[in-house]
Amino acid sequence: MNAACIFQSMKIIGAGRIGAALLLLILCTALFAPWLAPHDPYERVGPPFQKPSAQHPLGTNDIGQDILSEIIWGTRVSLAIGFFAAAIALLLGTFIGIVSGYYRRWLDPLFMRLADIVLVIPFLPLMILLAAYLGPRMSNIILVIGLLTWAGPARVIRSQVLSLREYGYVQAARALGGADARIMFRHILPGVLPVALAQFIRAVSSAVLIESSLAFLGLGDPTAKSWGMVLSYAQARGAFLTGAWLWWILPPGLLITFTVLAFALTGYALEEVVNPRLRGEAIKNVLRKGGGQADRQARK
Amino acid sequence: MLQFWGRKLMQYGLVLLLTLALNFSLPRLMPGSPLQLLAGEDVGLLSRAEREEIMARHGLDQPLWRQFTLYLGQLAKGDLGYSYRQRRPVAVIIWERLPWTVLLTGSALALSALAGVVCGTLAAWRRGRISDLGMLSLFIFLDSMPSFWLGMILVALFGSSLRWFPVFGAQSPFAGYTGWAAVADVLHHLALPLTTLTLVTIAGLFLTVRYSTLGVLGEQYITVARAKGLPEGRIVFRHVLRNALLPVITLFMLSLGFVVSGATVVETVFVWPGLGRLMFEAVLQRDYPVLQAAFMMVTVCVIAANLAADLLYPLADPRVRIEGRHVR
Repeated sequence: MNAACIFQSMKIIGAGRIGAALLLLILCTALFAPWLAPHDPYERVGPPFQKPSAQHPLGTNDIGQDILSEIIWGTRVSLAIGFFAAAIALLLGTFIGIVSGYYRRWLDPLFMRLADIVLVIPFLPLMILLAAYLGPRMSNIILVIGLLTWAGPARVIRSQVLSLREYGYVQAARALGGADARIMFRHILPGVLPVALAQFIRAVSSAVLIESSLAFLGLGDPTAKSWGMVLSYAQARGAFLTGAWLWWILPPGLLITFTVLAFALTGYALEEVVNPRLRGEAIKNVLRKGGGQADRQARK
Repeated sequence: MLQFWGRKLMQYGLVLLLTLALNFSLPRLMPGSPLQLLAGEDVGLLSRAEREEIMARHGLDQPLWRQFTLYLGQLAKGDLGYSYRQRRPVAVIIWERLPWTVLLTGSALALSALAGVVCGTLAAWRRGRISDLGMLSLFIFLDSMPSFWLGMILVALFGSSLRWFPVFGAQSPFAGYTGWAAVADVLHHLALPLTTLTLVTIAGLFLTVRYSTLGVLGEQYITVARAKGLPEGRIVFRHVLRNALLPVITLFMLSLGFVVSGATVVETVFVWPGLGRLMFEAVLQRDYPVLQAAFMMVTVCVIAANLAADLLYPLADPRVRIEGRHVR
């Protein structure tokens, strides 16, 4: 590693601190939403289309709900969807990653071809199709995002397993006749957990972003208002054609951006710390949000 | 080489088949009446004869494998079904929209590739300096933005406040422009959606170019070139870029899947008459035949682009060609 790369990795870790601080702030907002929000976000508390005032710092929406309260409570919904979807993606990704890294001859080609397929299909149109058939329920949205984003993490974890399985202690466990399942879960799993954690944090970041797009396209759960839903309503009522965009569209979008950024920065930095060998992968993986081109690059 | 191409063809053929199978099975496996899921929400308004026609068309009274072959046969003939909502064949609707999506995604891809290569090389060249870190932060920030939100902000700023650009559609309605005036009109409408899509796409290309250039800059032959006293410009263009751009060729094609996803939301914001907006409209109207066909069309385009990238890559990089031969 030359000096430039080391310098760069220090920058990444510095950025990670900023990310973690932002993250803490956002998590606190979600946690203390009932105390922070001035009003009930589902209650009509004022006349519609109010400009910002002392009573409604970000004005009111088309049916007189307080926008500030909407986006404070929206933090909970957006984060919850992000966390659960990322949890599904990582459970699947870790399992598939370990199993295909371990059974290189049989399951590896099968699972990796499957991952290729998931990565090639344009994910948003597929999600729209699935969400349209499944119906706009929060659990469905979580499921769809989780089931379509496991491939990236699975790849990264698999490559970690490929090197772990050559380690002395794993070889020793095999020589002693340890059962495959035991070796995978007692010896290999602890080794991939740090990498999986970094992947999880980054998966939350992309899940939050994807959820906002789905909600914007009208596929969000109408009973649980996320940031994307707020923006979807704002778009439907033409808020960007009037001055209302300043307080109706700008704040929720900035919140999404900063949340995604906070998770992404924390994820890169963590990856840098737990697995310096993946240096650079971390940066390339920024692309994972999309069709997973980074993965394909890494294989080339 | 032929074997390599054959393997790729098989691989993508499998992806295509799976996509078709998914499209086929979704309406049939979901709870609810398959008739409604195949023909759309308006099925209740149809006459008895029309319903029987739908039944016969999809072979709903026959075993599943027969239905699937029937489905594939119809696709092979270019028959994408019938939209009972719009009262038109789906294929007609799709062909109307496809060029607009190709125009938007194609130009966004070209622009972002150009900008990504220029900025990425520059950043790698000035690594660690203020300009590098500035671009890095800017692009990572842009990458974290929801594309639809960036579009809404641009509309609010340059569309409705400053009135520099039209805020929706691809053509001025009832203007009746012809010739160059019509082209200028479309370009005027294209400006904002194109900017949005390009801005959210650059990040990926920028980071790849920057990373791969950094890698090449660390190679020994660059040190040799420097030691020979070659001018910097010559080193960048002849020695660095030629090697650093190889991954970008692939990425350029592969970004298509991502750009298409981005286009879906961007088209929705700008009411751009492409396939993405069509999907949005179809979801709102529960027009399942159109939704399915739009998804299939988008996927087929992306698979084709991926296949093309994979097939052409060995032509650009002799190493893959030779390694491929050794492996066999």
